[in-house]
Amino acid sequence: MPRTSPPIAQPNQWLAALARYLRSWWYMIHLGAVAVVTAFSPAIWRRESFHATARHIHASTWQVLPWFALASSLVSLVIIRIVLVTAKSYGLSGFALEMVVRVLVLELIPLSAALFVALRASMAFDASALGLARAGLSLRAASDESLRQLRRDLVPQLIANAVAVLSLALVTSVIVLLLAYLNVYGISPWGIPDYTRTVGRVFAPAVTTGFVLKTVAFGLAVALIPTAAILELQRYPRLLASTVQPGALRLLFVLLLIEAASLALKYI
Amino acid sequence: MTQTTLPPPPEPPASSSFDEPKNVEAKAMIVLVLLGCLIVSFVLYVMYARGVFEPTQKLTLVADDSSGVIPGMDMTFAGFPIGRVRQVDLGDDGKVQITVDVQSKDAKWLRASSVFTLESSIVGETRLRAYTGVLTDAPLPANSTRTVLRGDATAEIPRIVATARALLENLETMTATGSDVNASLANLSAVTGRMSGRYGVLGGALGGDEEAKKLMEALDRVNLILAKADQRVFGKAGVMDDTQAAVRQLDVVLKDASATLKKVDAVLVEAQAVGANTRAATEDLGALRGEVDASLRKVNRLVEEINRKWPFAASRQEIKLP
Repeated sequence: MPRTSPPIAQPNQWLAALARYLRSWWYMIHLGAVAVVTAFSPAIWRRESFHATARHIHASTWQVLPWFALASSLVSLVIIRIVLVTAKSYGLSGFALEMVVRVLVLELIPLSAALFVALRASMAFDASALGLARAGLSLRAASDESLRQLRRDLVPQLIANAVAVLSLALVTSVIVLLLAYLNVYGISPWGIPDYTRTVGRVFAPAVTTGFVLKTVAFGLAVALIPTAAILELQRYPRLLASTVQPGALRLLFVLLLIEAASLALKYI
Repeated sequence: MTQTTLPPPPEPPASSSFDEPKNVEAKAMIVLVLLGCLIVSFVLYVMYARGVFEPTQKLTLVADDSSGVIPGMDMTFAGFPIGRVRQVDLGDDGKVQITVDVQSKDAKWLRASSVFTLESSIVGETRLRAYTGVLTDAPLPANSTRTVLRGDATAEIPRIVATARALLENLETMTATGSDVNASLANLSAVTGRMSGRYGVLGGALGGDEEAKKLMEALDRVNLILAKADQRVFGKAGVMDDTQAAVRQLDVVLKDASATLKKVDAVLVEAQAVGANTRAATEDLGALRGEVDASLRKVNRLVEEINRKWPFAASRQEIKLP
């Protein structure tokens, strides 16, 4: 297949490349806005629409939740032990619990849940999106058809992925909080007031808001970016010049951006 | 520009529900309900942990420096958290005002005489503590304002370093060559050297064996004089024997004197009696004189009567009384 040199080597195409790049981001944002508005419309929660949503939730959350929770708990247990033992050896065990809660619950678990769901969603979505692309539908040409498609397939997918990220992150966070308590205080109820106080100190209003917003943003990014990338691919088929999963790089970039912004807001 | 098109489509699936699992809607509902419950209980738990549902009373602490004080940090009493910092702001007078929410159930530990401290250590967070010495004092009223005492370990470091430097300089001066301490030590060495001589400590104290030798000779002479004096005073026919005899004689003399005095006492008693008698006799003489005077006056009157009545009155011969 004859190929030209990449646009970066042709200065006369830089403007076109930039325009395409910005159009791509705009398309993603626009699609996200449409999808979010559609998700909050009552029509999507009707019986027939909810069935599709339920099918996606079943696939993205119900099937993976136990295994993800188990794997995360094991890894978290190891990290909790490492932090506790290290803090104890330096005589700083009073700070160990706070550090565990901050590092695991606030940072690592939401990020790992988002990455896990993104990996699974993009893999699951690929085939159906390609199938959709095979139908040869042009979203621009048939807007009614495209909206119907969006409502029937993409919005349930978006909802399911967002629910998956939130569920995985919250369930695992609760398990990790329990594991941290058991590791620090053992099987005894007498540490509950102290523990509650420490958790309360960590979850200041700003931190809690940041945690919830970050998790929701993770869920939206994971749900939206691969979908938008594949739909864009369908709309502008010439962009498929790479063998990389469409949207994967952008998703990683956005996740990183959200995490960095959250850290910056919290600690700077 | 060459366009890369999608690969040719395989056969589309006949139906989207060819591998439909059972009860997907129920399971999805379970997931959604679980998610909702988790979110609500998480928010409630965090609110409980932050003390939103606890009744509190306000306490304002005034400090000079707010470093290390952050909203949400605990105030402890005997190691137990009893309050939480709600707000830290700078007052109009330039002092830091720390607003603390004290849980009402723990407010009993704070009394009017309670002391509040803010301690920063080199490692670890700043601690806000309350101390109550007298638990029977009046309770701390709500909305009261107290001054907080600040104890900062790091603030002490410059002072400690300055003191240590001065100490080291002094030590250096003391140990330098030709310093007073060294001179004193040299003198001490000379003294101890003399002390190790023949006359020991005496030689060291007096400045040499010669001086010590003179002192020893003087002591010998003093001993000799003392021996002679002893013989003269306490020896046979010494001063003490004579003194003893004299004392005995004195005793006898004193006894004699005592007897003589008793006799004198008796003589005086008798003399007193004689004096009394003499006084009585003197009183009788007065009466006798009166009687003699009366008799004489009677005789005078009788003589005058005779002179008038006697026939020899012409001759004027008078009877002459003796």
